[in-house]
Formats: sequence, C-alpha cells, structure tokens
Amino acid sequence: MATNEIQAQPLDDMGGDKSAFAISMLFPLFRATLWGLTGYFAAAWITAILAGTVIVDPLPATVGYVAGLVCWLMGSGVWEGWIRRAFGGKEAPSYTGIERYFRFGPDSKSTAVRYVVLNIVTFFLAGMAAMAIRIELLTPDSTGWWMSEIQYNQTFGIHGLMMLLGVVASAIVGGVGYYLIPLMLGTRNVVFPKLLGLSWWLLPPATFAVFMSPTIGGFQTGWWGYPPLAQNSGSGIVWYVLGAATILIASLLGAINIAGTMVYMRAKGMSLGRVPIFIWGLFAAATILIVESPATYTGALMDLSDMILGSHFYTGPTGHPLAYMDQFWFLFHPEVYVFILPAFAIWLEILPAAAKRPLFARGWAIAGLVGVSMLGAMLGVHHYFTAVSDARMPIFMTITETVSIPTGFIYLSAIGTIWGGRLRINAAVLLVLMAMMNFLVGGLTGIFNADVPADLQLHNTYWVIAHFHYTMLGGVIFTWLAALYWWFPKVTGRKINEFWGKFHAWWFLVFFNCTFFPMFIAGLDGMNRRIAIYLPYLHEINLFMSISSFFLGAGFLIPLANLLYSWRYGPKADANPWGSKGLEWQIKSPTPYVPYPEGVDPEVVGPNDNYAPGAKEPFVWVPTPSK
Amino acid sequence: MADADNSYARLMDPASERAKRGAFFFLVLFAAIIFAMWDLARFLWGGTAVPSTLNMGVGVGLTVLMLASLVPVVVARKKLDRGDDGGVVSSMAALLVISLVMIGGIVYNWTTLTIGSGYGGIYDITTIWFLVHFVAAILALLASIMKISRTPDRAKRERWVSYNVLTYWGGVAILWVAFFIVFYIA
Repeated sequence: MATNEIQAQPLDDMGGDKSAFAISMLFPLFRATLWGLTGYFAAAWITAILAGTVIVDPLPATVGYVAGLVCWLMGSGVWEGWIRRAFGGKEAPSYTGIERYFRFGPDSKSTAVRYVVLNIVTFFLAGMAAMAIRIELLTPDSTGWWMSEIQYNQTFGIHGLMMLLGVVASAIVGGVGYYLIPLMLGTRNVVFPKLLGLSWWLLPPATFAVFMSPTIGGFQTGWWGYPPLAQNSGSGIVWYVLGAATILIASLLGAINIAGTMVYMRAKGMSLGRVPIFIWGLFAAATILIVESPATYTGALMDLSDMILGSHFYTGPTGHPLAYMDQFWFLFHPEVYVFILPAFAIWLEILPAAAKRPLFARGWAIAGLVGVSMLGAMLGVHHYFTAVSDARMPIFMTITETVSIPTGFIYLSAIGTIWGGRLRINAAVLLVLMAMMNFLVGGLTGIFNADVPADLQLHNTYWVIAHFHYTMLGGVIFTWLAALYWWFPKVTGRKINEFWGKFHAWWFLVFFNCTFFPMFIAGLDGMNRRIAIYLPYLHEINLFMSISSFFLGAGFLIPLANLLYSWRYGPKADANPWGSKGLEWQIKSPTPYVPYPEGVDPEVVGPNDNYAPGAKEPFVWVPTPSK
Repeated sequence: MADADNSYARLMDPASERAKRGAFFFLVLFAAIIFAMWDLARFLWGGTAVPSTLNMGVGVGLTVLMLASLVPVVVARKKLDRGDDGGVVSSMAALLVISLVMIGGIVYNWTTLTIGSGYGGIYDITTIWFLVHFVAAILALLASIMKISRTPDRAKRERWVSYNVLTYWGGVAILWVAFFIVFYIA
C-alpha cells in the first residue's frame, strides 16, 4: 500500500470526538486547582499546629506541598483516569476531543501540546523576571526604587531555575519530543502513556511553588540552592527544592518513556541505524536523566532533610557543603546536554529535508550525540574550579574540552548535509542556521570557561552569563521556535506566516546579540554576576544591554501572535508541506487522534533521509500481523 | 465488574507485554543508582565505624526477611505464568505482610540513632527512602490483588503490571542486602 493511499484513507473514525469547546471541559483544571490549594493549606495548617510553629516554616511548607501536589493530581483526573482503574475499579471513558487537553490522560499528543502552552507561559513569567533584573541594572547602584538586593537575589534565582527547568528542559523534549516520538517510530503511543501524561501534571504546581516562593520568605541562593546559604535564606528554599525535584521527576518519567519506546516500539524494519536522528537526540538526553539525576535527587533530599529533620549533611559539625556541589553538578552540568542534544538533533532532522540532501555522516552524528551524553557525565567539577584541589583541575579541564570533539561531529554532519545542496530557507530553517551560529559562539567561549587559568579569572563574571545564554537561549530557544514552526502543520494542519516568522528571526538574532555579546566584554572588564550593583565605569555597557534586552523581550510577542493567529487563520497546509521523508509526515495533518490506522502498520525499507532523485520510498504499509 | 467498551484506550496503549516489562527496567536502574548514591554517601558522612547503639539484631532479621521474601516472588511469577490467580494473590498478600514488618523494623531502628550525627543522618535518610519504597510496594501489591480479584479478565490482559510489581520487589530486596552490607557490616 502506498503512502498516498494511507493519507487518503478516511480516518474520521480515528480522529476522535469533534465536539466544539465548552466551558465545562475546564472542570478538571478548576477541580485540580481547588483540591490542590485546599490540600496544601489543610496539611500545612495541621502540621503547623502539631509542630507548634507557623504555616510558612519549612516543615509545614513541605508537608503542605506534598499534600497539595497529590490533591492537585487527583483533581486533574488521575484518580478516575488511572488509580481507580488500577485497583480494579470502573474504567474511565477515553476523552478524544478537545477536552483531553484540559485533563489527565494517556494521549501523548495532547500532553505535548500542554507542554508547549506551559513552556510559553513559564517563558513569559521567567522572562519578566529577566526584564526586572535588567531594569535593576540600568543604574550602577542599588537605587531602591525598583528592587532591594534581597528581591534582586530572589528574582535572578527564580529566573534561572524556571528558565532552565521550566522552559529549556522540556521545551524541545516535552513539547516537540513527546509529540513526535510515537509518530517517528511508527507506533500510536509511547510505552507508558499514563506516566507520560502524569509528567505534565506534575509541572504546574512545581512551577507555581517556585514563582510563589517569595511569599514564604524566598531564597537567596540563586538557582543552585547551595548550602549553607540555603539553610539561612528563608523558607522559600523549601519550595525551590521541592519544585525543582518535582520537575526533575517529570523529566525522568519522560526519559523512561523515550528510552523504552525507542528500544521496544520501533516500527518493523527500523534498525537502530534507521532510527530518526531526533529520536537519537532524545535518547541521548534520556540516558543522562536516568543515570545522572540520582546524584542530584539525593543532594536535594539531603538539603531538605537539613532544613526540616535536623540532619547535618551540609551544615554544622558533620556538614560537607562541597559535597552538595558535587551532587548538584553531577546532573546539572550534563543537564545542559539534556537541553541541547535534542536541539542538535532537530538541526539534523530539518536540514536534510530543507536541502533535499541525505544526512551527512549519519553514523558519526549519532556517535556525536551519544558521545556528548557519555562525556558530559564526567565534568561537572569545572563549575567550581575555584573551590577544589589542584589535583582535580587538569582532569576535569581535559574531559570538558574533550566534549568539543563529539560536538564537532554534529556540526560537521550539519555542514556536510547542506554543503552543495539548495537550501530552501523558510523561517524554521533560518532559525536553525541562526541557532548553529549562536551555539558556535557559546561553545567556543565555553572553552575558556573549561580552561583552568582562564576560568580562575572569568569565574563569577558576566562572561559566564554570556556563554550560557548563547548556548541555551541562542541554541535551544532558537531551535525550539524552529521546531514549532516546522512541525506546526503537523499539529494544526496550517502553516505559520512566513514573513513574520522570518522577521522575528532577524529581530531575535539582532537583539539577542546586542543583549548578550556585550556581556562577554563586561565580564572581561570585571563585572560580577549575581550582584545588584556594579562599578560606574560599566554603566554605559549595561545601559546598552538593558535596552537591547527590552527589545529582545518585546519581540517574543511576534512569534506568540504568529502562532496564535496561524492556528486559527493560517494557510492550510498539505499533509507533507516540506516534502520530508520522515515517517511522521506520511500520515494525515493534523495528526488524527489515532495516528496510525488500525490494521495497517508502517514498515521501514530504507533510510528516511535519502533525497536522491528517484530514491524509493523509505516506508511501505503492511497489514498488521494477526497475533 | 465488567469493563466498558473502550476500544480507543486499548488502541492507544499499543505497547506489548515485552515492551512494558522491558522498559520498566529503566525505572529500576534509576532506583538502583539512587541507592548506590546513598551507599557511597554512608562513608563520607558515617565514617567507617557502625554505632554501637544500632540494633544489629533487627538489621539481620530484616535482611533475612527480605531474602526470604524472594520465595513468594518466585512463586508468584510462576503462578502468573500459569494464570493461577489464587496463587498470585496469596503470594502477593504474603509480600504485603512482609512490607508492614519491614516498615516497623525501619521505624524502630530510627529510635536507636540520632539524625543529627553523621552516621545517624545518612542511615535515617537512606531508610526513609526504603520506607517510601515499601509504601509504594504496598500500594502496588494492593492494586494488583484488587485488580485480579475484581476484574480478572482485565488483570489477565495486563499481566505486565503484576510482573513489574514483582520485579520491583526483587530489586528492592537486592538493594536492601547491599544496604545491609554497607551500613551494618562495612
């Protein structure tokens, strides 16, 4: 059966419920919120009464958070959609229409869409925190008209944590990855659909807690939560620890699904060498989370235990504060590869289709993704060269610099792919090329951070801020937008407005560079990070950076408006508007509720990136074998 | 209790039993690494000496119990292979009782140590983590037993759940033995 026959099949019965939106569909959201808040306050108050303390102390705040989280989950539909059934109770109906977006459920596509929405909301709020930081830095002194130093510390801590764990950790993996994993692998869903659904519902309370942490005293530690400052900086640190741990658990649930689905649920004929490169990127990221996050979980729990149970892991006579840094950075350096590896893989997914060229050195590109993942496990110490013994420095410097080798494989693969091709540059492709440039700057400047003699000078300066934003904002967020534009027709059946997509890409590139490139200069000139005041000779460059950042921030309204408008009124897209040979493009757009029709399965018979003229189709459709 | 016609649910959960059981090992791997971290941390915070106040008898007793619990695990797996629901339920009920005894022993040993001390802190937090696992095991066993009893047809279609619960228990048993060696003997 040919691909076009599959696309022509009437799939209406698989498209799910077509009912229009009704306000009653929001009921699970309202219920979850009500139950969550009630659970929080009830548990926190009872604990405070029993412990003879106040509700904002660390112990009541912890108990309240856990109770509130459980109640939120039950309200969201976890009870009737999963727990009740698991205990042999009544089975809940499948929600296949619009309402599935507003309640817990096993559909990976609606989970992914929820991820996109939450990522956008979190990006907006954490971006507002960034704007607040830049307003504070408009003047060298702490003026007092805007924020106190305490509020400044809280603001950059919340900005850092939420941008990292609330946005870049899940923007590509969650919003793009969870949508595409089953489609690219040729299956209808992931291996544990309910666990994946649960992963999203863990996020809103965690995000809310971190943003609301100033209401119970805030935290002064930045996004690292370093003890012993953590124990002396307000009860808000409890919500920081619990919120961060909850988000990491959500990531872990996704990682198990990524790894399990890739290993066990590939379409017939899809050998590991034929697995789409984006899935390889997700798999490399997932292994990091499964293998390396335990160190950081234990660190977070021990930190929390010091605050609420009276242990002394990091404080007091038996405390080892440096051990926390080891535990923290054991994951949180590789965590940046969780963010960037799927972005790399998206470059390698989009460029062959745009250049109509096979992916160059595919095997080396896969080795690059896996190599970065493996090397990344061993180099967190470069984050605190100023605090460790001389013996550790050269080891971790060498390992860190070695990461540039597998990263180079990925770049060479991308460049080799477009070399000699005729690249069709739409907004998504433009953003990919810009992301490659930005990450190149971020990567090259990272070598200086990894180099001990340079790092001892650059540590804690704005050089580090610039480097990091070039990799994360310049690398990941540019790619995230590219992915949203590229797969927008797959989700909505419509295309974005290309003019405004490209306009924003250039706007983004110009003001991104105006905001962050001067930070390299400011850092070299001695501007310290994490401090609300700076020396007067740095005023002009800070003024320039702040004004640029306001333009950069305001510019994000353009893609938001573009996505929202195009969702309703954009030009209708063909099923495969980019002429891609990816399996996800061989089915209808927008994706039906049941993406692959019952009774027929895709079989992979060739590489999915062979764009040579006359190359045979990489997929055939075969009847599902009877069991 | 009869299942509602919910063909969409079955269609949209296409993973085979092999996939469900295989992918579960990623979760087991994650849990094992967490305990490896606790075991390593014991030497940083707890030194090399085991406090004399720690009740060795309780530790040995709990370890023997965990090793003995592997018998109902093996039996339950065999019964599952054969489709003997009654045998599975009775073996799982035995594991439920063992979970409760383990929780009692863990809580008792907390009273013999001070959490503010180096060894006491790392011992207590590690066993708190075990306690969380036993609570999870109780809920999972209870769910399996109730599902088999109330909806046997559904339980038969979803045997992977019971297999994974038993795998989980086996993993916790191994981790407990490692914990005993590191915290009581080493």
